[in-house]
Amino acid sequence: MAKAFKYGLKGITGFLEPAERELLRSLIDDVISMLQPAEHASTDPLAALIGLDMDVQEPTDRAVRRLLPNVMKDDDGASLEFRQLTERSLRETKIGALRAAALDLDKDDVVLTAEGARHWSMALNDVRLVLAERLDIRDEADAEHVHRMQDWSQAEDVESYLALVYNFTTWLQESLVQAMLQSLDSRT
Amino acid sequence: MTLSVALGPDTQEGTRTGTEASTDSLTAPDIPWNLVIWNDPVNLMSYVSYIFQSYFGYSEAKANKLMMEVHKKGRSIVSHGSKEQVERHAVAMHGFGLWATVERATGGNGGTSRNSGKSGGSGQGKGKRG
Repeated sequence: MAKAFKYGLKGITGFLEPAERELLRSLIDDVISMLQPAEHASTDPLAALIGLDMDVQEPTDRAVRRLLPNVMKDDDGASLEFRQLTERSLRETKIGALRAAALDLDKDDVVLTAEGARHWSMALNDVRLVLAERLDIRDEADAEHVHRMQDWSQAEDVESYLALVYNFTTWLQESLVQAMLQSLDSRT
Repeated sequence: MTLSVALGPDTQEGTRTGTEASTDSLTAPDIPWNLVIWNDPVNLMSYVSYIFQSYFGYSEAKANKLMMEVHKKGRSIVSHGSKEQVERHAVAMHGFGLWATVERATGGNGGTSRNSGKSGGSGQGKGKRG
């Protein structure tokens, strides 16, 4: 069983079983593959280099749209224009955090610097956002319904399995963030 | 937002200082854009508070107050400034996975928040983007 993250002298530390690390690695890989920017034939290499993507569109997949939301509520045109300027580098930021977290999964004991912890919290959050879309978590009642699923022996279909995975990543992120909050406190 | 394993944060107010309000009254006329954070059932309350503290440099009390406002009212204006400033913050919030939008400050913000407009600061806190 995984151990909750703790803040101590060595920084933020945690422990994950091999199967848990394998699970996290595959979840992270899934999210990375969703975030890889599409290469268009017309992509201007110089524009790509400075992070512009004039061919970008609002994502059609709900989960990707949640990871890369519109910057304006009621102005799709302005949001799209903003995407052209920022979405590529936002995708890269997210992929960077996910890759960094995946690298830390090579050992049972996870020892994180402040930077590493931040990458982990971002990566776990993106993983949870994607799982939540797949589980159709739309409001607090849905979240509560999923949260009640805690017993691995009940996992008899894909949805209940996903719910258990979601709850595991939620628990892991909560323990990590509590440790990060402690590290903030101790700095002041 | 969701409250999972840990208990809810202490949302007591009272540690706000008077300087925030006075700074606000000096800069308010020059503030045309707001950064809005929207509620969703996935992001952890602790995580949202952590981001408000680490990125914007807000006190724990202020971060928790804004976080509870997002949770209870569905949205909160957590920062304001020039369009470029709030857009930069919005990208950083999207990086963290929060649902953030920018909007032109219209004066009356629909009563969505009593005092979040006073949250002050353009995010030049101890936090940084990465």
